[in-house]
Amino acid sequence: MTTPDDILRVRDLSTRFFTQEGQINAVSELDVRIERGEVFGIVGESGSGKSVTARSIMDLVESPGRITDGEIWFDDAELADAVGDDYPDAVDGTLVNLLELPERVRDSLRGTAFSMIFQDPESSFNPTLTVGEQLAEAVEVQRRASANPRSTRARTREYSLASYALSTVLPSRKYVTPESRERAIELLELVGIPDPVKRADEYPHEYSGGMLQRAMIAQALAGEPDVLIADEPTTALDVTIQAQILDLLDDLQAETGMTILLITHNLGVIARMCDRVGVMYAGEIVERGTLADVFDDHVHPYTEGLLGSIPDLEGARGRLEPIPGNVPSLLDEEMADRCRFADRCPKAMEDCLEHPPEYPAAGSDHHEARCVLAETTYDETRALSEDHFGETERPAADKHAGPEEPDEEPPEEQSHPPTETTGGEHQ
Amino acid sequence: MSVGDPLVRVDDLRKYFWEHDSLLDRLFGDEPVPVRAVDGVSFEIYEGETLGLVGESGCGKSTAGETMVRLQEPTDGRVEFDGEPVFALEGEALDAFRRAVQIVFQDPFSSLDPRMTVGDTVREPLDVHGVGTERERRDRVRDLLERVGLSADQFDRYPHEFSGGQRQRIGIARALAVEPEFVVLDEPTSALDVSVQAQVLNLLDDLQDEFDLTYLLISHDLSVIRHVCDRVAVMYLGEIVEIGPVDELFGAPKHPYTRALLESVPRASTDERERDRETLAGDVPSPRDPPSGCRFRTRCPMVIPPEGLDIERETYRELMTLRERIERRDVSLETVDTDEQFDIDDGASDEDVPAATAALKDRLLESELPPRHEAVVDEALAELTAGNWAAAADRLRAEYESVCEREAPGLGDGSHPVACHLHGAAAERTDGPSSWT
Repeated sequence: MTTPDDILRVRDLSTRFFTQEGQINAVSELDVRIERGEVFGIVGESGSGKSVTARSIMDLVESPGRITDGEIWFDDAELADAVGDDYPDAVDGTLVNLLELPERVRDSLRGTAFSMIFQDPESSFNPTLTVGEQLAEAVEVQRRASANPRSTRARTREYSLASYALSTVLPSRKYVTPESRERAIELLELVGIPDPVKRADEYPHEYSGGMLQRAMIAQALAGEPDVLIADEPTTALDVTIQAQILDLLDDLQAETGMTILLITHNLGVIARMCDRVGVMYAGEIVERGTLADVFDDHVHPYTEGLLGSIPDLEGARGRLEPIPGNVPSLLDEEMADRCRFADRCPKAMEDCLEHPPEYPAAGSDHHEARCVLAETTYDETRALSEDHFGETERPAADKHAGPEEPDEEPPEEQSHPPTETTGGEHQ
Repeated sequence: MSVGDPLVRVDDLRKYFWEHDSLLDRLFGDEPVPVRAVDGVSFEIYEGETLGLVGESGCGKSTAGETMVRLQEPTDGRVEFDGEPVFALEGEALDAFRRAVQIVFQDPFSSLDPRMTVGDTVREPLDVHGVGTERERRDRVRDLLERVGLSADQFDRYPHEFSGGQRQRIGIARALAVEPEFVVLDEPTSALDVSVQAQVLNLLDDLQDEFDLTYLLISHDLSVIRHVCDRVAVMYLGEIVEIGPVDELFGAPKHPYTRALLESVPRASTDERERDRETLAGDVPSPRDPPSGCRFRTRCPMVIPPEGLDIERETYRELMTLRERIERRDVSLETVDTDEQFDIDDGASDEDVPAATAALKDRLLESELPPRHEAVVDEALAELTAGNWAAAADRLRAEYESVCEREAPGLGDGSHPVACHLHGAAAERTDGPSSWT
C-alpha cells in the first residue's frame, strides 16, 4: 500500500458538523492517496462532501464543523526533520501527520505546502485593495514564513492591537515591498494576464471573472505550494473562459510539477484534467480509479447514474437516465448502516443492507468500488422490493437496517428536508 | 414542422438599459450610456417546437426572453404571438396573452415565495386569472403536483421543505397551471445537480408531449440545449450569430463563435485529453461599447484579412489583437523600461526609439513576424513609443483593416442562417472558410 511517491495520504478522515438539527456526517472515514505530481479529481454532487474534504486537508473547516477523526499524512522530509523532535508522534519517516501538529505549524504550511483556489473569484478578493497589493501580501507572507520556517511567532508578535488599528486605515501596504511587488507582477504574467504592470494597480472590480480567477491562481502560486487544491475552479465561469483556465492549470502543472487536487461536479472537467478520480457520494468515495476505470469500466451504479445523467453533446438524443430521488440527508440519525446509495440504486440487493467496504474492481490496480457488484453479479432474486425504503425519498423510514453508527451525541429529534443543493454550485 | 405561421415571431427586438440616466446625472449634464443587452434580435418559434437560446453570461439571452413576454419594456422592435402584436396588447387581450405565455425561472430558491405553501403558490395564477371554482382550482393544483412528480399530500408544505429539484418542479407546476401554449424556460436546470437536472429535463419533455407546449429554452449549457431543442439560436453580445436545426448546428457549426463554444465544452469521456481544441482568447467586450462590424471580431480566430494580404491566420489574429489594444489605449508605455533605461513617459528621445520599440514588440507579440509585417509593426510601435496613439493606430489600420470591422454581417435567410462574413458576400472575395478549417 505504501508507495514512496505518495505526497498525501488521508486515512479514515471524518469531518462532522454539529448543528441544531443534529450531527451531520459530511465526510466519513475517507481514504485518499495522492501521488506526487498527479492531478487527482474528486467528483460528486452538491452535499456529497467534496468541498469539506478539501477544506479538511487545508484545515479550513469552520465551526460548527470539526475534524473528528482520521490522519492526514503529508510527505515532506524537511518538515519531518523540523517537527520530529517536538512532536515525535506526528512523524513517521518522511511522513508527517498534519492533524497531530499544533495550529501554528499548520498555519505556516498554508501557502507553502498547500494552497487553495476557490470557486467564486469575485467574493474571494478584497474589493478595497488592488490585485497587486493582495498578491504582494501573499508573496510577503510566504517570504517571511520561509525566512523563519515553521514558526509564525514573529508575525503574531508584530500583529499587535496598534497594527490592527493601523491596518483598518492602511490595509496591507506594509506588505508591499518593491521585491514582493515585482514578484506579484511576475506571477500575474505567469498566469497570462496581459499587461501585468498596469493590471497590478487595478482593483478586483476592474477585472473580468476569468482574469480574477487567473489572479487567484497567481495568489495561490505565490508560495510555490507542493499541493494545489482547486475547489470548483471554473464553476462560476463561462465555457470559453473555463477552457482558458483549465489550459492554464494544465500548463502550470506541467511546468512546476505540482500536485493538484481538483474538486468539481463537472465530469467533463475531470476528464479534461485528471489522472485519477474519486467519485464521492454521501461523504464517502464510492468508486475510484484511473479515468478509464471510472468512465469506461465503472462498477458502482451511482457512477453509472452520474454518467447517464449528462446529456450528450455529440448527439444521440435519447431519454436521459437519471438517478431517481435526491441526495440523502447526512444527518447522523438518518444514516443507516447500509450502502448509502441503496435507496436510489436500481440494482439494490439484500447484500446492500450491510455497509460495503471498498472492493478491488476490474481494470487498473487503482480501481476500487464501494459496491457489492464488484464482487458478485446482480441477482434479481435477491433484489430489494421497490418499496423497501418506503414511499418517501428519505431513508428515515428504513427500519430494517442495522444499528446506528456509534455516536457520542444524542441526536435531536427534528425533521430535515433532503439536502440536495446547499448552494455549493450555481450555474 | 414549419407548417403555416410561427407561433411567436420576434422582429428586430432591442432592449437597452441606460446608465447615467438619473436626475442627478442629467443635472450634471452626463450623457446617458446605453447598455445594449439585446440589440436587434429576430427569430421565429413554431408551434410544438423547442427553440434554444444559447450564449455566455451577459449575452442578453435572459433579457431577450423576459422582454418578449413583456416582463421588460422593449426599447424597440416587434413581437407577434399568434399573429397579435404583443407590445400593443391591452386589457383582456393582454390577460389572455399572459395566460397563454408562462415563464419558469432559473433560481428555484428565490422564485418561490417562502411564506406561501406550495398549494397556494401553484394556485395563485388560477386565482389571478379567475379560473374555475374554489374546489376546481384545488383539484387542479393536486393534479398538477402529481403530474410534475410531487405528491398531492405536499400541498400544505412550504418551499423550504423541498430540495432544489423539487422546487423547480413546483415552479413548473405553477407555470402550467393556467394551461399555457408557450413556456419560456430561463435556465431551468442550471441551479441543479446533474442527476436532478436529468429528471427535470425528462419531465419537461413529457409535459411538452402531453400538453402540446412550445418552449423557448434559455441556457448556457450546450449539452442541455443539444438534448432538448429542435432548433438553436446562438447569441453573442446582444445579437444572434447563428440559428439552425440542432443537429446541423452542432454537427456543422458555421459561425466561428459557435465552433469555439462547442470546442470549449469538456466532454465526459476518456479521450477528452487527446481531443483537439482551440480555445478562444480574451473576454467578451462590454455591451456599453460593442465592437464595430461583427461583434465577435475581437476574439475571432478566423477574422478576415484584407484582400491580397499574404498572411498566416494566427499572425493576422495577433496583429488584430495588438491593434485592438492600441486603439483602446490598453498598453502601458511606462513599463517598457523594465531596466529603467529609457524615459518614455513624455515621449522617448530619438536615440532610444529603436530599443524601446524592440522592447515593446517583444512584450506585445509572441511570434516572429514575416519581414514585411515586421516593418509595418515597427513603424507603428515607433509612433507609440513617441506617445502618438492615434498615429500608431492609423498606421496599423491602413495596412490591416478587416471587412469584419467595417461591415456588420447580417443574419441571412434560410433554415440555417449565420451572421458571418465568411459565409456572406465577403466569402467570395477571400479564400473562403473551407481552406481555413
